[in-house]
Amino acid sequence: MIKDTAASGNAGILSFVQALNIDRINRIVSSINRIVSSIVKPFSRFSTEGKIGIFGILCIILVAVFAPVITIYPPQKITGDSLEPPGPGHILGTDELGMDIWSQICYGARMSLTIGLAVAFIAGFGGGAIGILAGYIGGYIDQGLMRVIDVTMALPSFPLLIVISAFLGPSILNVILILVLFSWAKPARIARSQTLSLKKNSYIIAARNYGAKPFYLLWRHIFPEVLPVLFVLVIGISSHAIIAEAGLAFLGLGDPTSKSWGMMLNHATSFRSIYFTPYWKWWLLPPLFMLIFLLLCLAFISRDMERILDPKLKIKKGF
Amino acid sequence: MVNDRNSFIFRLLSTLFVILVINFFLPRMMPGDPFSTTSADEVGEDIIVMTEEQHLYYINYYGLDRPLPEQFLAYMKNLMTGNLGRSIYYKMPVSDVIVLHLPWTILIVVSATVISTISGVILGTLSAKNRKKGSDRIMMTCMIAFAEIPSFLLGLILLLIFGVYLRLFPLAGAVTPFANYNGLAEQILDISYHAFLPVLTLSLSQLTGVYLLTRNTLITVTTKDYIRTARAKGLGEKKVWIRHALRNALLPVVTRTGFTIGIMMGGVVLVENVFSYPGIGMTLRSAVVGRDYPLIQGILLVIAVSILICNLLVDKIYGKLDPRVVI
Repeated sequence: MIKDTAASGNAGILSFVQALNIDRINRIVSSINRIVSSIVKPFSRFSTEGKIGIFGILCIILVAVFAPVITIYPPQKITGDSLEPPGPGHILGTDELGMDIWSQICYGARMSLTIGLAVAFIAGFGGGAIGILAGYIGGYIDQGLMRVIDVTMALPSFPLLIVISAFLGPSILNVILILVLFSWAKPARIARSQTLSLKKNSYIIAARNYGAKPFYLLWRHIFPEVLPVLFVLVIGISSHAIIAEAGLAFLGLGDPTSKSWGMMLNHATSFRSIYFTPYWKWWLLPPLFMLIFLLLCLAFISRDMERILDPKLKIKKGF
Repeated sequence: MVNDRNSFIFRLLSTLFVILVINFFLPRMMPGDPFSTTSADEVGEDIIVMTEEQHLYYINYYGLDRPLPEQFLAYMKNLMTGNLGRSIYYKMPVSDVIVLHLPWTILIVVSATVISTISGVILGTLSAKNRKKGSDRIMMTCMIAFAEIPSFLLGLILLLIFGVYLRLFPLAGAVTPFANYNGLAEQILDISYHAFLPVLTLSLSQLTGVYLLTRNTLITVTTKDYIRTARAKGLGEKKVWIRHALRNALLPVVTRTGFTIGIMMGGVVLVENVFSYPGIGMTLRSAVVGRDYPLIQGILLVIAVSILICNLLVDKIYGKLDPRVVI
């Protein structure tokens, strides 16, 4: 755009456009700065555990993204002998069909992360939006929603999860859908209670008296206040979703076409006499350790974020 | 308070109703005819082929040829009379299968609840007493890390360490197969030997919650005036902690125990499968693998009802412990 105007040779317009551009660029830069600093600032306040957690998650994300680069063999192809011990050919050995375990671990990370993120974001922000709206509107809608939330939270989620996926058939989409159905209630409830207490603040009442529309109020004043709390919940939900997926897959209810860590556990433990042979050392241990590592990282991060947000956050453990 | 209580009962009943509705609609929502599925998706899964007679039995049992409201009424009537249908896999009534396996689950869940509550309270008290020392911080970090490992992964680790590597405990089952016991004591010993690892797993996964709750409530309680009064009266430190502080700090622990049973019923399904422990969790898995739908539904119902009963019981006990709560 600048070049075009320069070619036309109109200096006045050029300087005007430049000023406008610089203004806009400045604004973009400052907003980028704001975003970066809003990420970096809390990071410096994280404890050592939290930093380890973030580092660990980053490593797992990198492994998941670059899975084709860091593995030699495709995860679902027979590339070696059955049950090879770890060696130069296959770093972590092979399973009973001769598939490479290291590849399965790397590609399995994708599955856990996808399910965790998808469920957490849909349930966390969807539930949060429902909660904010209900808290803001109040009245019968709010009362009705609270009843639904109470019931949803009282349902025995894991047994129901097993039964529903047994009936609907195992697929990633079903698992995500069911998990979302069971995990939206908590963020909705917390977003609602936050909205209720925010609504009474005098600055929001002032804004409303100045003629702010409900949508503007929700978007500019209430949502940014609720967001940090939702973010902590999102991490919690994602680790629940990862556990649930692993548990379902362990029971044999995972997507049979995928190679998730839970499926690896299922295959390894349903292998006859796995415990009487040395195979468990390279077949069962890697997915087990990866799952625990991922969950611990998430837990460290969420604990730290809870601590940082503590003044605003009234969630007690065991809620 | 009365209003609160009504809403509590209302919540339990509506939860039960939702579960019944889900249970009723699930087999009917499945695409096509739910009982003609004979494919096996899994390597090593047994292919269950239904005979024509069985197929007709299921169509008839679920009354799939009648209108929906009539089906629902018939379903409720069957439930009320305790008729949960017949299991395909075990070839006997679902209720009999459940009665056969439920005691094992109750055994490990109840013992894990008792053990985790008692040890959690003891550890929490110790921790609250020494809260300014470094040892407490280390203990707390360890406990928190423990709490984040889901119970079935913890169970796998314990199984690998104690069952496979050290060979101290059995890998599967609830009793030694084909054992002849010389007396009751030996039988009890055998059962607890087999139940040890599952109970340990469940207890460890619940321990942290109790521990943190006891610790936090105790820390709040000990700042109260009546504790200072008790000390000023010249009561011994032991008496202050146990008779005055702990007694009040235990109230939330009781409430929590009821809710943890609900969480544990989810975990126990997986833990039983890790240890091949013949409770309803393992039955549920074999029912899922064998597509034994009536059994799956029966087990879900039993789990849900037992959780609701626990919540109700806790509510009653709480009323007894804290006279301020009006029942």
